[in-house]
Amino acid sequence: MRSRRSTFELACRLAAFALLGWLLGDSLIPSRSRRMERASTGAIGSRLAAWTRMPPTVRLHADLATTPDAWVVDWLTALSHSGHAVTWSGAPPAVAMSSEPLADPNGATRIDLAAPARTLVVLRDSASVVDSVRVDHLGATVVTPIVVGPVVGSASGQRFAADASGAARFRAVVVIGDASWEGKFVVSTLEERGWPVIAQFHVAPNVDVGQGVVLPLDTSRVAAVIAVDTTIELLGGALARFVHSGGGLILAGRSSLAPAMRLLSPGVLGARTHPSVLPADTIGLGSTGFYPVASLAADGVALASLPGGLAVAARRIGAGRVMQVGFDDSWRWRMAGATGSETAYRDWWARAVAAVAYLPVASPLHSSAESAPLVHLIDRLGAPRPTAPDVASRSIDPRLLLALIMIFLSAEWASRRLRGLR
Amino acid sequence: MTSEFVFATAQYESGDWDSAPLLPANIIDTIARYTEIPVAPTGVVVSLSDDRMLRYPLLYLTGHLPVRFSDAERRNVRRFVDRGGMLFVDDHNHDIDGTFHKTATEEIARTIAPLAELPNDHALYSAFFKFDGPPTTSHELNGWGDNLVHKHLLAVQRAGRIAVLFSNKDYSSEWNYHPESKRFLTVDNTRFAVNLVVYALTA
Repeated sequence: MRSRRSTFELACRLAAFALLGWLLGDSLIPSRSRRMERASTGAIGSRLAAWTRMPPTVRLHADLATTPDAWVVDWLTALSHSGHAVTWSGAPPAVAMSSEPLADPNGATRIDLAAPARTLVVLRDSASVVDSVRVDHLGATVVTPIVVGPVVGSASGQRFAADASGAARFRAVVVIGDASWEGKFVVSTLEERGWPVIAQFHVAPNVDVGQGVVLPLDTSRVAAVIAVDTTIELLGGALARFVHSGGGLILAGRSSLAPAMRLLSPGVLGARTHPSVLPADTIGLGSTGFYPVASLAADGVALASLPGGLAVAARRIGAGRVMQVGFDDSWRWRMAGATGSETAYRDWWARAVAAVAYLPVASPLHSSAESAPLVHLIDRLGAPRPTAPDVASRSIDPRLLLALIMIFLSAEWASRRLRGLR
Repeated sequence: MTSEFVFATAQYESGDWDSAPLLPANIIDTIARYTEIPVAPTGVVVSLSDDRMLRYPLLYLTGHLPVRFSDAERRNVRRFVDRGGMLFVDDHNHDIDGTFHKTATEEIARTIAPLAELPNDHALYSAFFKFDGPPTTSHELNGWGDNLVHKHLLAVQRAGRIAVLFSNKDYSSEWNYHPESKRFLTVDNTRFAVNLVVYALTA
């Protein structure tokens, strides 16, 4: 029977050899759970080269406060495809941006933003700061007259970008109706804005005057049609085909009462309002009355309301858009409105046309990885996976094991040396 | 407010703005006779110093006496033209050396811009009826005025559109009669007025 001393010595030897075996095994059979490399947003770019030289068994993890540049995400994706287990964690801000040229000969660009509520977004282009906007709810839109190069946004330390360099090719706008001040001033203001305008005004039986040729009505030459009154009935099916193929249509005044327009209209018109206008009153848009949209189609969208009802509505039909504008004497706003009304009138009609006009872009716009960085990150690397902090430290420091081996061996040696001592 | 076309005569402080009182009714009759343009049965008179003049984008102005706008009139006429209105001025004297011509052209130059000859192939002359230029009136050679046949109208143009049209043809005399009397004419001498109105409404 072994004495307690010899049992102790045997236990110390076994423990020392066990630890030695652990170390040997650890060096020969690497464990996945013990090999993890971590880096934060700021450091990850500089670590990628080193990570690439590591064996595939090393796990790679990114702690991201903001989404890294697209090339970093692409590099991580390549590492993932080469066998590394690549994960990330953190809560980068969910931001996205798109920009596109407006259908406006003035060259304006519309920038649409999505970001968490109350986020301040600063927009820059290649020349300077374009604008800054605080996001309400989830989105914001900025219209800027000139953009030089790509638009770059920054919010909460996150950078994102969108390219608006596609050159727009403008088609003509057709204005059709009876000879009236409304038609005349719509033509004038669009031409002042830079639109090529084809006009056709009915004057007398079999007598129409105007400029250009209305038919054939297709998107290769016409971007939008503005109907000033029910004369639009003459275009009938051609107009429906035009809208379905992507053309824009503005049904102004009572034009949507034309039978052929009923299937296209965003809503059904009610009786015209007739507010009293005193001689001294300043005339504004709709202040002299308008045709309200009494009932909206199921897919119709209300765009503007005035006292008296819904004044502007819109809907999509096929690839095209239709806007219903209740005003039939908006020209009074231009002629007899307050100071600046001429410009306001021009801007209003330009925006209305821009909202519906068919606008082919010379170089097709594409959404880049930088326009929605978080979406790109999740698309390439998957959803965030928080890693337990102890995973990386699960492997025991070899120096501690060596110290334990030395302690066990020393204890066993000391026990043997002191065996005859009484 | 009506959406019809309303024939508006401009009233100004310095002269005899109402020297052709029958003309509006006659032109309204002509518009109704030849076109389907909704037209108000009666015209209006608007003071150039009143902001309400901006509610009538085509204004007719005539007279024999000197034309000198007040500050308010000048300001409104300038706004009227800037916003896209068209002012038709007819020299009731048909006299290029007369007081109306001299003062009115000077006032237009001062308020808006100098007048220039309007080419006789301008769109105005084919806006509805076809004319080779401004139709001659029976009054041009009646022994009064300068006794000339004026070959051109004068105009100030803005962005290719007529902003001010000035005539020495004396249409104010030519058209100043009761509409019922048209039946005595072989050719209606007010047809050019249709071109004026159609041009103003469509160009």
